[in-house]
Parts: sequence; C-alpha cells; structure tokens
Amino acid sequence: MKKVFTTMMGASMVLSLLAGCSSGGSTSGGASTEPAKEQAAATADSGSGKSDGKKIELTYWTLFAGGDGEYMDQIISNFNKSQDEILIKNVKLEWAEYYTKLVTGVSGGKGPDIGISHTSKLPELIKAGVVTPLDDTAKAAGLKWEDYNSNILSSATVDGKHYAVPIDTHPFIMYYNKKHLQTAGLLDGNGKPILEPGADGFVKFLTTLKEKLPKDVTPFAFSNNADDPYRLWWALYSQQGGNDVISDDGKSPAIDMDKAMKAANYIKDLYYTSKVIKPQDPDFYKTFQSGKGAIMMTGVWATGTWETTKDLDFGAMAIPNIFGNTKTWGDSHTIILPVTAKEDPKKREAALKFAMYATEQGGQIWAKAGHIPADSKVFESDGYKALKYRSDYKAVASDVVFPKVSDKTWPKNDILKKYLDEIWLNKTATDVVFKKIDSELKTLLAK
Amino acid sequence: MTTNEIELEKRVVRVSSRTKLKQWGLDIKAFLFLLPFLILYILFTIFPMIKGLQMSLYDWTLIKKMDFVGLGNYVTMLHDAGFWRGLWNSTLFVILSTPTMLVFALLLAVIANQKTRLRKLFRSVFFLPSVLSVSVVSYVGLFIVQPYTGFLNNLLKLLGILSADQEIFWLTEAPLAWIAITGITLWWTVGLNMILYLSAMQEIPDDIYEAGRLDGATDYQMFFRITLPLLGPITKTILMLQIIASYKVFLQIYIITRGGPGTDTRPIIQYIYEEGIKNNHMGYAATMSYALFAILLVVSLIQMKLNSNKGAA
Repeated sequence: MKKVFTTMMGASMVLSLLAGCSSGGSTSGGASTEPAKEQAAATADSGSGKSDGKKIELTYWTLFAGGDGEYMDQIISNFNKSQDEILIKNVKLEWAEYYTKLVTGVSGGKGPDIGISHTSKLPELIKAGVVTPLDDTAKAAGLKWEDYNSNILSSATVDGKHYAVPIDTHPFIMYYNKKHLQTAGLLDGNGKPILEPGADGFVKFLTTLKEKLPKDVTPFAFSNNADDPYRLWWALYSQQGGNDVISDDGKSPAIDMDKAMKAANYIKDLYYTSKVIKPQDPDFYKTFQSGKGAIMMTGVWATGTWETTKDLDFGAMAIPNIFGNTKTWGDSHTIILPVTAKEDPKKREAALKFAMYATEQGGQIWAKAGHIPADSKVFESDGYKALKYRSDYKAVASDVVFPKVSDKTWPKNDILKKYLDEIWLNKTATDVVFKKIDSELKTLLAK
Repeated sequence: MTTNEIELEKRVVRVSSRTKLKQWGLDIKAFLFLLPFLILYILFTIFPMIKGLQMSLYDWTLIKKMDFVGLGNYVTMLHDAGFWRGLWNSTLFVILSTPTMLVFALLLAVIANQKTRLRKLFRSVFFLPSVLSVSVVSYVGLFIVQPYTGFLNNLLKLLGILSADQEIFWLTEAPLAWIAITGITLWWTVGLNMILYLSAMQEIPDDIYEAGRLDGATDYQMFFRITLPLLGPITKTILMLQIIASYKVFLQIYIITRGGPGTDTRPIIQYIYEEGIKNNHMGYAATMSYALFAILLVVSLIQMKLNSNKGAA
C-alpha cells in the first residue's frame, strides 16, 4: 500500500512538473504568461467564432508604454464598441523585448493576429518571414493605399509590395521654452523663435541664450550619448544631402565621409567649443521639463508629456535649417499582420478593418500623443489642425529622411550610436571614429 | 551436498534475492524521487548544452533558419575585433574584481568575527546587499555615481574635494567606469564570500589560538601565521568561484553603462547577447559561448592542477 502511494506520488509529481515545463516552453522564449493566456483564449474561440455570427477575436501585440499606451487602449476600446463583429484583445509587451518575442512567437506558431512594427524594423521582419504582403487582403478589405502620406508609406513598402499600414510618423523636432526665449529677446510676436537659418545662425542663437540666461539654465538641453545626438547627426547629415550610410544594394557601407564628419563636428562643437549643452546631463528631458533648459530636441512623442506639465510654456517646431533645409530623422509605427499558424483570410480582413479604423478614426486620438498621423484625411482634418503644437510641426512628416530599406537597419544604428558616442564624449577623433564605423559596417553588411 | 546444505543454499539464494529485490525497490523509490530533478536537469542543462554545440556549427537565426557552416563561426570569431574586445573587457573585470573581492571579503569576515556585541549586526549588514536583485543594485549604483545629482559627486563637493561647478563623469571615462562598476559589484556580492570566509574561520579550533597566545604571539602574528594559512583551502575555492562569476558579468554593466562609452566596458556576455538576440545570429552567439566555456574550463583545470600539486608538496 505504502509503495503504491509513493509510486503514485512520484508519478504525479513528475507529471505536474512536466506539465509545468511544457506550458513554460510554449510561451515563446520565456515570454510572460499573458500572451499565452490571450492566445489560448483566442484560439479556443476561433473555432466557433467565425461563421455563425459570433465575434472574430484578434490578438494584438503592442509595444506602447506610458502615454502612447493609453491612447492605443482608447483606440482599441472605441473600435470594439463601434461594431460587434470583431473583438481586439490588446497584449502589451515590454518595449525592449517586443521584437524578440514577436519573432520567436511567430516562428513557434504562437504569434498574434495583429502586431506593431517600426518601419525601420520592417525589412528585418520580412526577411525573417514574420510578415507577409498585405495587398490582396487590402483589396478585399477596401483599404486604399493612396490615403496615406506617401513619404511614410514608401518607407513601409518593400520591393513594391505593401507590408504594413502606417499609423504615424514620429520625427525628431525641436522644443523651446517660451519664457527663456522671451528673456533672451529671441521670441517674436507670434511666439516663434527668432532664429537665423544656417550653421552660424543656430550657434549664435544658442550663445545669445547662454549670455542672457541665468547660469543654471542650459541653452540646449540634450544628451551626450545614445539616441538623440545620433538622431541630430542623421538630420544634419541628411540636410547636406548625405547619401544613406549603406549602398543601394545594402551590401556595403557608402558613407558620405565629408558630410558625415561635418555634421558630427558641428554637434561636437556645441558641446566643446560653444559649450551650450550641459555636459553629460543624466536626464535632459527632466532638465527641460523643470524649466532648466531653453531648447531641447527629441521625438514628437514628448509633446503629450510637456502639455501636461504644469507651468511649462513651450513651443514646438521643426529642427532648425542648419545646412540648407529642415530634413530630419524620423521613424514610423505601422500595423502588421504577422504570419499565423492557420492563415485565415477572414481574420486577416478583420485585422485590416481594425487597421483602417486605427489610422482613420483612431488617428485623431493617436495624434494627441504627439505623433503625426499617416492617414492624409486625418492629417488634413480640421480636428487635427486645431490641436495645439501639432500644427507647428505637421509639415515635418514630409521632411523625414527614412533609412534605406534594409534588414540591417537596427544593428547598423547600434554601430553608429556606439561609435558616435566616442565623438560626443570627446574621446576619439571624428575621422578615426568614421573609419571604425566604416569597417564595422563592412563586416555587418557582408554577413 | 546434503539435503540440509541444499536447503541452506536455497535459503541463502532466496534471502539474497529478497535483499536484492528490496534493494531494487529502494533504488526505484530513490530514482522516482530523483526523476523530477533529472528530467529538468536533462531538459534545461544537458539538452541546451548539446543543442548549443549544434547551433555553433550552423548559421542559426531566432526562427531557426539553418545553414550548416561547419567551423565557419569559429573562424569568424577569431577574426572578430568585437569578440576580442569583449573578452578583454571581461578579463579586465576579472583582474579588477577578483583580488578586491577576496581582500574585502576577508576583511569583512575578520570584522564580523570579532567577539563583540555588534557581531550579529556586522554579519547581517555586510550580507544584506546580496539579497537585492541586480536591477535594484544597478539603479542604486547609478544614483550614486551619476553626475550632477549623484550621491558621490555631491559628497565630494560637500567635503570640498570638488568645487561646486566641477563634475566627475564616472560612467563615461573608461577607467572611472570600471572603478564604478567594480565598486558597485563589490558592494553587492562581497557578502557571499564573506560568509564563506566566516564559516571557515569558525572551523579553526580555538586551541590553536590558545597555544599561540601561550607562546606570546601578537594578534597580528596570529592572523598572519595561523588564520591566513588555515584559510588557504577556502581562499582557493573562493578564488575559483569568483573568477568564474566575474567572467559572467553582464547585467549590472548593461544597466549602468550599456557597455559604453563606445565599447569600453562591453563584456563578452553582452556581446554574445547582442549578436544572438538583437542581431539574430544565434549560431554565432553559441560559438562565442562555447569559447567562453572553454576558457573557463581551462582556468578551472589549471587551478585544480595547481591546488593538487600544492597538496602533494
């Protein structure tokens, strides 16, 4: 009796452990249990949920946190309320893990029905076989590509095929503190900065701020490393008409060295020659938000945050014309339909219906986060024009210089950022840095 | 053979087969209890190790697009500046952290071993940071060393070592960044080594010290002539554990400096992670993991060899 008992105990322990393993293993590379649960719910319903009048349930993986996330939630719940055929279930994933989970999830047949992708990441996902073209489904769902901003749309088009429905573009722009500009006498009657175009004009603007403002206010709140100086470099490189850093076939680096170095040195001088940036500010968002910075530059997503900050009287505009135009860095969020284990045309069509809703009706809500809507109807609408600040930078949508379509864009950016940091930190000479970048890109692109 | 003897023989056979059977029963029971662990061990340790070796021979991506490349990944690795840089950074961290970890652990153990009323307090205080997770530790560290608002710079200003508008940028100058990382890691993990030292110290019999005291040895002499030599074996163990642990450094660096400035503090594990997960080269990442594994194996073997030689002499 005792023996039987122990044997059963042992067996049940083993079984429960095994069960634990298998469910753990299926959540796509250690993903949180949330997507698995949602997935289970979705698949359980999909059998009965298509034809007999019940709702089509779609899982939607997103990477939006904070403010963005709330606006997306609002779009989804509005959509779910607006009709009773389709139900969208939002699964919020951690930004940093999102793409890894998406790729492993899809490859394991556990991916979502709808996903989000940056256009810069899209070619990589296409190459990995995570997303497929949408043209047939778009035709069936009645989606018109010409509704979208052509600059943004072209960045989501690979080899003439549409792979994603663009929601927005989020360019790199400039914010300014009106109070400080006023003090320095650099604000005109319309509340716009008095700023001469050209490389010297911007430096003069900043040095005037430096002279006229109290010592604890930094003229230009900015960081010394990583994303934002890189984005400014990209903007200034593009303003000079610099070729993308990779060749047309994507196989080798093609940096316009003179222009690249000119842009890099211009930024370096802001740190070390005119000294208008607080060195190595650990949190330049906070510096600007607390009124300790006269201007700052980052993506448009900050608008929503500044707006809700008390006592921050700010303005937003395209980054200054330094090398002849206002071309800038930008990326764009798009809606993708990841490959699923059972491709269901009805589900795909339903997903695109949601995509159309999210970009059209949802576009207005999404714009509140600060993003520029990709749908031309929203872009031209009075509602959007009436939004404060956004209309000041909406034209930037056409100024965004997207990177060349390549499945190596993200690793390429990592290399650029890593080495450009050495210039911003005054560690390595600019030409040496670009030699390093060139050689590492060579290795990366040859793979 | 008499019938009696045959009877006896049979009985012996029966008895022994019964004990054998009993033994078997016990074995099975034991096996059943071990089975869950064994399954997990095979599933999560043995299998990934073999799989990893297989992966290192393929051009393997996150979604298992596989092309057999033989030793191609290994050849790439030997020519990859990123690999060597990462390996050197990790080695540098080992060189910086291991002696520090040993000396501080010993020092703290000596303090915690004093027969004062504060003894218990010392033990818990020194060990406490080990309980924290790496992210907590890293963020606390970040708040200490970051410029303008960091505790350390403000303390230095308060003490008059720095003037009011001077800043030390701990995280963006390579030597300083290494000092910061080593310091933070030391504060976090030294407690474990201290406990090891402490328990070894307590195993040193009191009569040796008594004898020493009778012979008129000073405290200083007793520490260097008695305590330290008798801690030899545990020191070797800690040394080995510490070298292996230090080679595996990753998360605190990733959170504190992201491997920067440039690639100055990027350890090999971070490079493996970036290649595998971010750049989708799982095969190559597996190759580098095996290289690291081989290095650690060699280090351990050398150390075991040295230990056994000393033991014989």
